[in-house]
Amino acid sequence: MSAKTLLPALARHQSPALLALCLLAIVALASLTGSDTVQVTVAEMMIRVIVVVGLYVFIGNSGIISFGHIGFMCVGAYAAAWATAQPTFKQIMLSGLPVFLQEAEYPFLVAVAGSFALPALVALILGAAIMRLSGTACSIATFAFLVIVNSVYSNWDSVTAGVSSIIGIPTVVGPWIGFAFALLAIAVAHLFQISRFGLMLRASRDDEVAARASAVDVLKVRLAAFVLSAALVGMGGGLYAQFLGILTVDPFYLNLSFITLAMLVVGGMFSLTGAVCGVVAVTAIVEVLRFLERGGLGVALPQGSQELGLGVLMALILVFRPKGLTGGRELRIPRRWPQLGFRRKRLEQRPQEG
Amino acid sequence: MKPLLEIDQIHVRYGDMTALRGVSITVAESEVVCVIGPNGAGKSTTLAAVAGGVKPFRGEVRLNGTAITGRAPERIAALGVSLVPEGRHIFGSLTVDENLAIGGYMRNDKAGVAADRARLLDLLPRLAERLHYPAGRLSGGEQQMLAIARAVMTRPRLLLVDEPSLGLAPKIVDQIYEILLDLRRRDGLTLLINEQSSNRILNHADRIHVLRAGVIQLEGRAEDLRDGDAIRHAYFGFGHQAPAAPAALEAAP
Repeated sequence: MSAKTLLPALARHQSPALLALCLLAIVALASLTGSDTVQVTVAEMMIRVIVVVGLYVFIGNSGIISFGHIGFMCVGAYAAAWATAQPTFKQIMLSGLPVFLQEAEYPFLVAVAGSFALPALVALILGAAIMRLSGTACSIATFAFLVIVNSVYSNWDSVTAGVSSIIGIPTVVGPWIGFAFALLAIAVAHLFQISRFGLMLRASRDDEVAARASAVDVLKVRLAAFVLSAALVGMGGGLYAQFLGILTVDPFYLNLSFITLAMLVVGGMFSLTGAVCGVVAVTAIVEVLRFLERGGLGVALPQGSQELGLGVLMALILVFRPKGLTGGRELRIPRRWPQLGFRRKRLEQRPQEG
Repeated sequence: MKPLLEIDQIHVRYGDMTALRGVSITVAESEVVCVIGPNGAGKSTTLAAVAGGVKPFRGEVRLNGTAITGRAPERIAALGVSLVPEGRHIFGSLTVDENLAIGGYMRNDKAGVAADRARLLDLLPRLAERLHYPAGRLSGGEQQMLAIARAVMTRPRLLLVDEPSLGLAPKIVDQIYEILLDLRRRDGLTLLINEQSSNRILNHADRIHVLRAGVIQLEGRAEDLRDGDAIRHAYFGFGHQAPAAPAALEAAP
């Protein structure tokens, strides 16, 4: 590839590349500290990056808020647990599982693939039904889905162990594996948003009437984003199960739904950079507040100041940056990173592909 | 010549309000037909009924003899009917270039798309200069040009333009008409245009329909209507002698 074609290509993909470098720096620094607590925090942060980037694929591009994606995370987490938990446990506690799952213990990547595929399938069926709804109605329908998933998974004892936990899932996910899959999620989200489908979906977000008049099949592009987004969030769930080692239904409900949505909104919901920044910023705030709560500066803050502080800081961020940390400029420029002057010039001069 | 578009006695209702009562318009291939009428006459509804935005409860819309009444907007667009909606509906957060690309997505001929893009940018240098700007940052006139260019990128057989002059300076409006007529001369584009006022359109259109209160009041060849009296009468519902003001107001909605 000559420099002439390489530079525009670099410029075109610079934002996911830069995001990857930032995350790499975080993971590398965490490894250098050698502290287990930091490792755990960073691993969990990487999983959240996957989940929030997955959320962004649908919410950011379609402009429709979904309250139900943590349901897909739950579906993905259980899919991974079914694949990797010990057969002896599965035969006793999960007797409703099909035999091929009961009797075998599948490798990590198979489990991840399952946690990607099963939520995608569920999203395809659900999405075919609800994507024709308009904005708010669609959001509430996704919330209904979250409630349904929660009820089913809490009560289907023979398959999910109900309210007790699935134990013995190999805990193979650490910061580096989390990072690798976060990269994958970012790359997928980026490729989707610059693709034909992504562009058509964002056009329908800006103006549905004009998009349909330009022959954009809004239902189809929305459904595609919904399925892809559910798959990424589900993958995040699958990794989460293999990070925790023990799985219950409880974490996949309102708390996690709202914190992940808050991360997206704080970062800026209409940009991929926003999705990633939101996770990093909110995680950092939470960790600092936890540190202070434990008495890190000599005086311990009272219990609960972490939640309170997070709420106040998020409110402040949104008061001063209503479009999120990445701001309005990012919102308008599809290349999601502030560009250096010379790069932008090159971009504008380059002969365009159709 | 066989008409490309036949709007045949369509009636459209919004809730209790009847917007169109038996409107019929035909447009032949390569013809420029204009619908003029006051605010609320049903002009936009007529175009929306063709483009699939509203469904007539009676009557039929035919494209090349095939009924397309009540099909989804994206299906009708795929048949080659492109609507430039009133009020410059561009995709504000996408760049100018991406807006144009969306127009070309429904086509399969990559070379044709690239050629059309190049030609349009040649015709619209202001857009060419701003290719990588978010379209939302363009001026009103530029946005209107972009909306038209995007519609033209779909290579329509029939272009529906809803009030292209709305809220734009007269000079810009002239430019927009120049572009539309230029496209017609070169490509034989068929145009159905809505306007509120007749002065400009009389020079550009082949035929004129005057629509008021959901009914076609008058139709004719533009050259026969030049003197303007018949149009005035149809448009306002009265001729030379000015009636009392309240009556005029009632006629308008």
